[in-house]
Amino acid sequence: MTDEQSTEVPHSLEFASSDGRLLAEPSPSGYDVFMLEQVSLGQSRFMTPGIAPDPRGVALGRYGLIQLPTLEGVVSWLRLYSAEASLDEILPAMQIMRVRTPLQSRELLLRISATSSYLMDAAARCARLVGGSTFTGTGKHFVKYRDERSPYGYDSPEIQALPAGAHLMAHSEDFTQSYAKEGELSFEKLLFRLSLKREPAATLPSEELAKDLLLVVERGLGDGVIRYLWRNRVQANVGVVRPQGQSTFDALGRATQFLMVRVAELPERILELFVSTPGIDVFRSKGSNVAVQLGYTHVIDLASCGTVFDSARFYLFWGGQADRVDVVAGPLELSAIEHLTHLEIDIEGPDKRSNLVLDKASDPVSVSMRLAPTIKPPTRVMGTLVPPEQAAWVKRLVYLLPPSVLRGHRIAVTDRGVLLVSEAEIDTIPIGNLLVELAAGLLIPAGMELVPRVAPDVLATTLGHGAGVLTIFPPNGSPFQIGEASFVPLERRAIAKLDVEEVTSVSMAYEGMGDPSVANDPVGRFALWGFQSESDK
Amino acid sequence: MATASCAEFLETFVLPLVVGGDMHVGAPIDAPTLEAFEQQLPHASVPLVAIDEAREKVLSQLVVKPPPCLLDVDDLKLAAAVHNLLFLAHPDAHGWKMSESRRAKVVACAQSFAARSHTVSRRRLLARHALLHNIFDIGRRDIKVSWWTGSATFEGQPVPPRLTRWSDVRRVHRDESRVAFGELFQGVDVASVIAALSRRSPLTLLLSSGRGAPHLHWEDAVFLLRDAEIARALAYRSIEGTGVDQQVKTPARYAASFDQMLERAPVAADVRTVLAFLIYLNCLLALKESHQMGESPLLATILGASQRARGVATFFAAPGAAGLVDDRLAAPPGLLADAVLTRRYDVHRRQVSSLLGASVIEGLAERLRRHLAGNDMLESSEPQEDGSSSSES
Repeated sequence: MTDEQSTEVPHSLEFASSDGRLLAEPSPSGYDVFMLEQVSLGQSRFMTPGIAPDPRGVALGRYGLIQLPTLEGVVSWLRLYSAEASLDEILPAMQIMRVRTPLQSRELLLRISATSSYLMDAAARCARLVGGSTFTGTGKHFVKYRDERSPYGYDSPEIQALPAGAHLMAHSEDFTQSYAKEGELSFEKLLFRLSLKREPAATLPSEELAKDLLLVVERGLGDGVIRYLWRNRVQANVGVVRPQGQSTFDALGRATQFLMVRVAELPERILELFVSTPGIDVFRSKGSNVAVQLGYTHVIDLASCGTVFDSARFYLFWGGQADRVDVVAGPLELSAIEHLTHLEIDIEGPDKRSNLVLDKASDPVSVSMRLAPTIKPPTRVMGTLVPPEQAAWVKRLVYLLPPSVLRGHRIAVTDRGVLLVSEAEIDTIPIGNLLVELAAGLLIPAGMELVPRVAPDVLATTLGHGAGVLTIFPPNGSPFQIGEASFVPLERRAIAKLDVEEVTSVSMAYEGMGDPSVANDPVGRFALWGFQSESDK
Repeated sequence: MATASCAEFLETFVLPLVVGGDMHVGAPIDAPTLEAFEQQLPHASVPLVAIDEAREKVLSQLVVKPPPCLLDVDDLKLAAAVHNLLFLAHPDAHGWKMSESRRAKVVACAQSFAARSHTVSRRRLLARHALLHNIFDIGRRDIKVSWWTGSATFEGQPVPPRLTRWSDVRRVHRDESRVAFGELFQGVDVASVIAALSRRSPLTLLLSSGRGAPHLHWEDAVFLLRDAEIARALAYRSIEGTGVDQQVKTPARYAASFDQMLERAPVAADVRTVLAFLIYLNCLLALKESHQMGESPLLATILGASQRARGVATFFAAPGAAGLVDDRLAAPPGLLADAVLTRRYDVHRRQVSSLLGASVIEGLAERLRRHLAGNDMLESSEPQEDGSSSSES
């Protein structure tokens, strides 16, 4: 400022701005007198209470204060900062305050914990971008945070008592401002009230976007979607969820329950189909318990503020006309879709269980023995009973069995079926009803047990079972006994009795329909009429 | 401008392209039509599933567990590029109906469709190969019908029944001929599109030897040799056949391309990978004759001929030349474990040395040294680091 200009400024002017800020007073010499002093390297004593140098020598208080004129500025700062750093670091101590100046203008102050000057540098840079100012301090007095003009920060030599009703005071180079606190704004409330923004269409869809997706499917479409995913071999898990807090005043026609399908990777073609299908909404995971509708994005990076979200809940951010947040009780417990594919159940068909009544005498005391399914693992597979209608399968099987299996088996052909027994386990034979040994020589079907559970020796006595005899309980019909002498080695029986069937080999090689051949269809005289290449578009 | 639906295009053109049969070629597909096809693609489930299943069957000949092949927009554009190229050979697209500028427009459109991004993803490469594996086998059945007063030729078109009536009285004669790939795709501009398509599917290029395929650039395809399963399939496919010429034709093509690769400035690891692959093929040929004693009739026939095919000398000289550069490169790892094969391999090497002469082998070794000498890879004793992983098979 030149001498002429300085003389034009009358000293009688009130040095206050329109919003009540106390402005810097021009000196009689014509040079500006700043209200702050620049901190020098190594300076350790400060006039402002609560300010101390950090390891880099930058003057830093316990908190950082970001002054923004409007709520939009606060949201813009949060948006910028969350895209660059984690909000989780500053959220525990963060306060969003609505304040009023002495001239009754309203502003918003964002107080964050100044853990390091690096964090404050990032915060200040974001604040400058959105038109805010950054201060630092500990209690009531906050001085301007460092900038290019003073790399080590500022100190205020004129610390005064706060006016009545003021909550804190900010000291800048050219003004000092006191603020009265009107109230606080919860970050969580702010987060859940912001609407999602539509993403540019060019970013949709890509291979990266097709990973880790959630599908929200109306109940009526559930079977079709599950079948479609299963048929296309897409790994997915599904569950039924109900958003919490729904009431009768919710939007008419809004479903109270829906299917939630989590897919690890979705082919691009299927993703496009789902995006364009009504009743199916695609969400992209933004953390362990947050998902945002595909095509939309939250203004604040949700992944950077994971602590806001209750880990026991799942949050679905809807974009577009829905514009809501569904909170679902979590964590999500989903089941694999392969277990949910369509079943055909014939309830009128025959009962698959086999009941065997041993004693039909009208004795009021004794109970009938019967076979009942059991979940206990089979003890030892001793043999298999092949029904008569499957006897031919045994002939074929003989060709496939290894020599050791052939040697270890004995066979008896009865009117109840072909009985194969072995000393070794023969559960590799895939036909017939496998028989396990309940007691020596007493065989029952695998997976079943005799009820009531009497002692095996008592049962053997009752049945007249003894040495050299096998007693078999088939799945259907009454039990029968057969002497050990009736059994012959399977090898001998196979060679002597069983017929050899000729097996034809089948070629598994792929054979196409020959070379492709061009078949020219009629195209008319004007096939190229209106033809547009990509450069014409 | 084509007006058919996406499902019809998939059913009548793309499916026959994969499985064989009649590929119906109509009016060229322009950019707006293809965009419409892209929109309809998710709704054409029936032909899509048929194509995907056919492609998996094709791949089952190469790999044990084919990846799921889901036809996407990229595949659709590649198929559309092939369709537009075939339109250029359409009989209705000649003469006054097809000016040079219009032809250039169709070629440019095909070129833009073929300009998909290059990929090294195994799934995508296999899927592209399954789509285009028949491209060099595409042909056309031409029928020439002549009668007592004239004749007519039908290029890939049905013959009207009226022309063949009263065949005895009118002395109708019918000649059928097949137009091969090379005649269908003529012209420099078309060749550039074919080259672009081939570069998008290097596996097809490697597997389609000597059928009018563009020249092989190993730099584009060498990464395939680092996949043991694909390299194994390539090796067995390249020497299959019973005739002497059949067994050596593809390896000679590979070696000829290797020759040209050495004249450029390839990465040393790539040179060693291709070299190891050629040496492995030599070893497989020796394995075929492991039951024989004495000199190899195959080598005597091929190398004793007065005129050798291009690349044959380089192919058979590769093990000897590699041995001059570094002993460890001369034979596939694990060869010494099989004494019979080792003996047969040594017999082959001696016979090649006497038939080719030391100067040929030394010349190749000198060229190899330019790329490999002083390289750290020669110090490595791990054979699995490079393309010789295929030799595990």
